[in-house]
Formats: sequence, structure tokens, C-alpha cells
Amino acid sequence: MTRLFIYIFFCTYSLNALSQTVISGTITQDQGEVLVGANVYLQDSYDGVSTNERGAFSFKTSKTGDAVLIVGFIGYEQVMRKIELKGDTIHLNIKIKEIFNQMNAVTITAGTFEAGDKRQAITITPLDMMTTAGAVGDVYGALQSLPGTSTNGESGRLFVKGGDSNESQTYIDGSLVYVPYNSSVPNLSTRGRFNPFMFKGTIFSTGGYSAEYGQALSSVLLLSTNDMPTEDQLDLSVLSVGAEVADTKLWKNGAITGSFTYNNLAPYMGIAPQNYNWVHPPEYGTGAISIRQKTGKTGMFKFYTSMSKSDLIVKHANPDVSSDLFNYRLANDNYFMNGSWNGKLGEKLAMNIAASFTRNNDGIRFDTATVDQKTVGTHLKNVFTYPFTEKFTLKFGGELFSKTYSQNALIPSGIHFNTFTNHELSVFTEAQIYASSKFITRIGTRLENSDYLNSIKISPRISAAYKLTDNSQFSLAYGWFYQNPLDDFLLYTHHLNLERADHYIFSYQSSINKRTLRAELYYKDYKDLVKMTNSVIYLPSTYSNHGYGYAGGLDLFWRDNQTIKNGDYWISYSYLNTKRNYENFPNEAVPTFASRHNLAIVYKHWLNGLRSLVSLNLKYSSPRVYNDPNSPVFNGAKMMPYRSLDLSWSFLYRKNIIFYGAVTNTLGFKNEFGRQYTSTPDSGGNYPGIAITPQSNRFYVFACFITLTKKGNANQLDKIE
Amino acid sequence: MKRIILSLAVVLCSLLAMAQNPQFFRSMGETLGQYCTCKSVADFQSLSNKFQMISNVEKNEWLPLYYYAHCYILMSFIDQTDAAKKDSYLDVAEKSVEKLIEMAPSESEVLALQSFYYTARLVVNPMERGQKFSRLSNNAIGKALKLDATNPRAQLLKIQGDMGSARFFGKDPNTFCPQAADLLANWDNFKPKSPLYPIWGKDQLEGIVKGCH
Repeated sequence: MTRLFIYIFFCTYSLNALSQTVISGTITQDQGEVLVGANVYLQDSYDGVSTNERGAFSFKTSKTGDAVLIVGFIGYEQVMRKIELKGDTIHLNIKIKEIFNQMNAVTITAGTFEAGDKRQAITITPLDMMTTAGAVGDVYGALQSLPGTSTNGESGRLFVKGGDSNESQTYIDGSLVYVPYNSSVPNLSTRGRFNPFMFKGTIFSTGGYSAEYGQALSSVLLLSTNDMPTEDQLDLSVLSVGAEVADTKLWKNGAITGSFTYNNLAPYMGIAPQNYNWVHPPEYGTGAISIRQKTGKTGMFKFYTSMSKSDLIVKHANPDVSSDLFNYRLANDNYFMNGSWNGKLGEKLAMNIAASFTRNNDGIRFDTATVDQKTVGTHLKNVFTYPFTEKFTLKFGGELFSKTYSQNALIPSGIHFNTFTNHELSVFTEAQIYASSKFITRIGTRLENSDYLNSIKISPRISAAYKLTDNSQFSLAYGWFYQNPLDDFLLYTHHLNLERADHYIFSYQSSINKRTLRAELYYKDYKDLVKMTNSVIYLPSTYSNHGYGYAGGLDLFWRDNQTIKNGDYWISYSYLNTKRNYENFPNEAVPTFASRHNLAIVYKHWLNGLRSLVSLNLKYSSPRVYNDPNSPVFNGAKMMPYRSLDLSWSFLYRKNIIFYGAVTNTLGFKNEFGRQYTSTPDSGGNYPGIAITPQSNRFYVFACFITLTKKGNANQLDKIE
Repeated sequence: MKRIILSLAVVLCSLLAMAQNPQFFRSMGETLGQYCTCKSVADFQSLSNKFQMISNVEKNEWLPLYYYAHCYILMSFIDQTDAAKKDSYLDVAEKSVEKLIEMAPSESEVLALQSFYYTARLVVNPMERGQKFSRLSNNAIGKALKLDATNPRAQLLKIQGDMGSARFFGKDPNTFCPQAADLLANWDNFKPKSPLYPIWGKDQLEGIVKGCH
């Protein structure tokens, strides 16, 4: 100790004896405000000081000659200033600029809901996908409590901003999922094929999306799968409707997960009352393998493959034939493969290469008819991203979609086999320009060529966002969006063109202290929709692209996880005004899938003492229309409104054990989705019809999730379904 | 949590130093001496500035960078403005911790700091980050203890983590008290490799042991 003091004393003393330069001044930021705590020092020396509460600094140095003064502060660009030390006094007033940081800069929010684990300012998170009541672990179910979407109980698919469900596409790690939903019987609800636990991030775009995405008139859902797992583990899930086992093994820079899922609704349907008579309740089996491999410093290779089979037989009405119910059997075989590599080629150029393959077979037997539908699709995509500067990034790439769809129908009138193959080659480019951290523009264009339809289309896309204050911003988006007509039309003809929708979106968002308000106005102009002059589907000579329509509306979203301690709620409301004249419509009319008012109120509460997350979801959709052939007005009849109060409860029993329970439509509201009519009138000139009801009035599910690791107690906090 | 963290700004006031790089030892010694007077974000900001200055000169020394990162982690705990601000401090800490692991991959203290960093990320948003970061933190602690089972800071962080999760799961955190008391009794027996090596944690542990009775 004594020696140190002597040493310090000696040093200080000797330094003081030398000639010294005093450097002083103030540090201010661009707008003139002083910076407190900025680091001011001479390069490669121990001489320096932090600025005081007035932004001032002053220090002495015994160095002489040329030197470099460095000013640094978190979030600001470092300033280097050459100075000459001559033993006198140097006074400097230095301004430093805020670093341009894309993470803090304005983002384009028009039409987009983004979720990830990095960003704070997000409107919906991956955890929400699991814990929102009513979703029951379905990716698409969770999205149905966001603005711009509606819940159509007879489908379960995504309907976005006045668009039909087939106008939405799902991408996993950059490549298209041709068949994202489980196969299902007409008028019965379905679910997504993928377990939400697979994904770390979600971008749900309800319009105005990037030129990178084509073949979608209404929306794209971009899912990115989890990166490397952290340790070896075995996951066991036991549900009231099935079970899953997944095992993960790690090696240096890589990992593999194998899983097997089996679901059978027979025991459940034996207990819970059903609205349909099931001869063979739905039974599903899926085996999947997922591989991760880090390559080099920045690269990541991901591979996923799954095989699944499902089978079901349900009594279904065929009012055209008789009032009796007939067996409807649906057997599905699905093979899916998805691979991607993300990484850097050199210092700046980033590349994402992705591929997917789907083979899907639906075997349908209904009464005396047998129909086999087969989809074989591949998607190859390569995207390059090059940041010329922090503020200017260019993205460009190309993709190839290839799809064969065939239908083999054995019906009493004979055998009908139809098939088509389409190759779609597209290139796209998009520039992202920040004029400042307050203003961003994205301009892109996409060129696609379909060989089957013999058509070339150009889609311009533009979007921009401006930050009004630190917490609020507005964005705009405009673009042309093309999509091929439905497979059911393309089976019979290639004399059709792509359908088109133009999007106009204006969005405002304000986020203060974990409270977010978002309002979005939009208008979609549909053109070149497929129209049948004669409503018979087998007369392709009557098909044309003369259909048209529009959809306009207002979406509101309010989320607050600040006001109530341990509580979090959001309110989503969508107003929709839409009409179309397409397909078999005799005149312009509201389509069946559109409801004017959609409301979802979600509340979640963490009960600390019970280590439970309870969630409640109230949904309301105003009456939709359907066509009653007994009425002279097309689509003039109205269904009941849709109402549902869903509850879920997740209990963290141990670090690695979670119990979960959920019930949908707790209060048992009666829901009906219109009526199904015969195609020809009876002897009295009336068309008899029967009501389309949900599968059951309520749905209950119970589950237990267990994670086993070598250490025995991995935390499962965010794995609450 | 706040209480625990604030007490992490620990007495680092006494240091002896003599070596081949006297200026380095002198500056480090002086700067470390200021740890005990730091309370606010601004205090730690200017302290971290000094460590940054030293680490810019002494490019092969990992210790200045270690304390630089440590300051930023503490700042994320003290600053109560908003989550984005906390994350911005931790972005700085993250870069330094990554660099530290490259510089001193087999240093138990570095891995203990990494675990501390992960815990700080978790605390910003426990609901969203609970699973991911508690695992990462546990893994880092495991590695730290593997490199040096006697490292008192690694042991302390482990006890803290275990007690926190016991509390959360409605079990008795006091089952870890004998471990804590034992660690405290042996705390001074741990000899840092040099006077500049981390010594923080004793105050905090004393707080834990006191809470046991």
C-alpha cells in the first residue's frame, strides 16, 4: 500500500513538473443541447475527462505535438479532431451528431404487424401467439384477433381486409408454403399445419407489402423459425386430443430436432357434444425433422421436413340428392420440405436462399363420388441485400414457382381428369432510402411471367413513413398486387389473366410507454377478377377477367400493458365496406366472407401467486350475408352475428412443466354461418335449405407440456400454449 | 431486484499494484477506486468513459473492457426511463462481452459477466425474455464454474438465480441459505489473480445472508 502511494505521489509530482496543455470546451448535440457524460480524451493516451452537467470539459495533458482529440457518447457519432499541443490552452466547442440507427429510426408500419424478440416497439409478440385465448395454439387463430382480419367460423382461415382466404399467402424462412392449412370438409373450420412453437418471429402484412412478395392479393404472413436451440432436450406434450414428443440433440454449431405428433379426436368427441355426426373423428399423424447448422461467422442453414397423414369421415348433407346425410371421407397425405441459408458474402452483401417443396393429396369420397386432388409445388428463391450506406439499401432477387394441380373425379356421369402446370418466374428489386432517421421511403418493382397463362406483369410498390414525434409516426403504402386465378378455374382453361388488386393504405401509430394506438385507413381496388357469365363451372368458354370490386375500411388497434399491473389488454376493431362483381355473382354484391364490423377484446393477466397466465378473448362480427335462392336479391340474406367469449389458463407448475386449459365460446352463444340450399327448387318452387353450424358450440382442450434436459429443469415460461 | 443490483456497485477501493506497465496499473487502480462512489447513471457513465479510454490504449488487456461492460450492465439496472434505453446500454455491453469472450475465452470471470449480462436482458422484459435468457444465463454460469468452481461471483450469481426461481415457484428460497453463508465465510479466501481482477459481490452476498434470518 505504502509503495503504491509513494508511486502515485511520485508520478503525479513528476507530471506536474512538465509543461502542460489545458484542453477545455463544451460538447453539444446537433440541436444545440449540451451532452452530459460524453467521453473526451486524447487518442492512445490516458488523458481525458467526461463532460459535466453543463456539457463542459477541461483536462490537462503533458503530451506535446500533434494529437487527436476523440469525443464519444453512446448513440452518437464519434468525432476525431486533430489538435496541436503546445503547452498553452485550447478551447473547443464541438457538436456531435446522433448516430443513424435503423433500430431507432422510423419504420414502415402501413399494413404491417411485426413481432420479434429484439424490438421493443412491437404491437404483438410471439408469446401472444401462444397465450391468446381462442387461438388454441393455432398461428392463424391468434392472428384473427388483430385488426384487418375477421373470424369466419366455417373456414378458420385468414380473411384480410375484405379479401378471400385464398388471397393470403404464408412463407416460412422466405419460401412459400403451398398448403398451409390442414385439409378440411366444406363448412368446417380448419387450423394451420404448423406448431407456433417453431417460430421466433412473425411479420403479418395486411397490405402494401414489399416487392419481394408476389402471388397474393390481400396479405402475406412471414414466419421465421427458431435459431439454434440452447441445449439437448426432450419435449413431451400430452393433450386431450393427442400427444407429441420432440427430441433435440446439439453438436458443435448445429442441432437436430425430431418430432412425432399424433392427434385423435375420437375420445374427446365421445364426451363433448358435437353438432355433426362423426363416423371417423379426425385423426392426424405427423413426423418432422428440423436441422440447424451455423456456417462460418454469420451464416445459418435451416432445414425442415415433415410428413403427415390425416383421415376423417363425417355425415354431411347433400340437399341436392336427398334429405339424408351421406358419409364424407377425407384422407390427406402431405409432404413438406423447406430449406434456407442466410448469410453474408463478403463484408456487406447478404444473401438469403430458400427453397420449398410440397406434395399434397386429398382423397375425397362423398356419397357415390370419388375425387382425388393433388398439388405438387416447388419454390426457389434467392434474395441479395446490399447496404450501400447505412441509409441506402438495395434488395434484389428472383424466384421460381412451379405448381401442378390435378383433379381426378369419378362421378356417376363418368371419369373427369384435369390437370395444369404453371411455372412462374419473377424478378424483383427494391430500394430502401432513409432521408433522415425521421423519413423512409421504399420503392420497388416486380416482374412476373407465367408460362401457363402466357402473361407478363409488372407490379410497382411504394411505401413511406414519417416520424412526427419520438413516439408517433404515419406511413403510406401503395402498390399493384397480382395473383393467379383459383386452381378450380385454371384446371379448365389457360385463357385467363392474373387477377389484380391495388392497395392504398394510410396508417398512424403512436406508442408511449407500453401503450400503442394504431389507426389505418385503406382502400383496395380489385380488377381483372375471374367472372363467369354463366354460373356453371364446367363452361370455361364463359370465363373472363371482367370481374371487379372494392374494399375499403378503417382498422383500429389499442394495446396497453402499462395501466393494469400484471395485466395486458388490446382492443381491435375493423370497419369494412366491400362489394364485388365476380365469379358467379349476377351483379355487384357483398361477398359472403365479409362482415362490416369486427371487434376483438383480449385481456391477459399474470397471477403471480398462482404462477398462471389467464386470458380472455371476446369477439364479435356483425352479420355476414349469404345467398338465399328463394329471395330475388343476390346475397341478400343475413346470418346471425358471430359472438364468442374464449378463455384460457396456463399454469407454470414447475420450471419444466406447464398445464394448460382452454375453452372457446364459454357462454355458449349460438352461432350459424348461413344456410346451404339445393341447386334446384322443389315441386313447390322453393329451395329448401339447412343451417350451417359450427362443429360444436364449445371446444375444450387440456394439455400438459414437459421439457426434460440433462440438468433436469429447463424453464418453460414462454412455451405456454 | 433493484436493491440487489444497486448493492452490486461494490467496494473496490483498496488495490495494490506494481508491474511492468505502471501507467496501466495506476490508471486502473484509480478508476477502480471510484466504483464505490458511483450511484447514478451519470456516475457510471463517466466511470465507463475512463475504462473505455484505458481499453483503447491497452488493446491486449481484457480487464478495462470487462469493467466497461460491467458499468453498462449496471446502468441498465439503474436507469428507469424505458425499456429501449435499457436495451441501448445492453447493446453496448453485448458487444464488449462478445469481444471479451474472444480475448479471454477461458477466464471464469468473463463468463460470469456474460451470465450477468443475460440476466440484465431478461430483467428488461421478464415475460417475453424469461425462457430464452434464463437459459443463456444458466449456461454461462455453468461454463464459468467449470473453468473455476471457486469463483465467488459465479457462485453468487448461481445462488441468486436459484433463490429467485425458488421464490417464483413457491418453494423455500432459504434452502440456499447454507450455501450463501458458506460462500460468505470463504469469500476472503479467494485470491484474485491480480489486484486488478474483479472483487465485487461481497456486499450483495452479505445482503442475501442477512435476509436469511
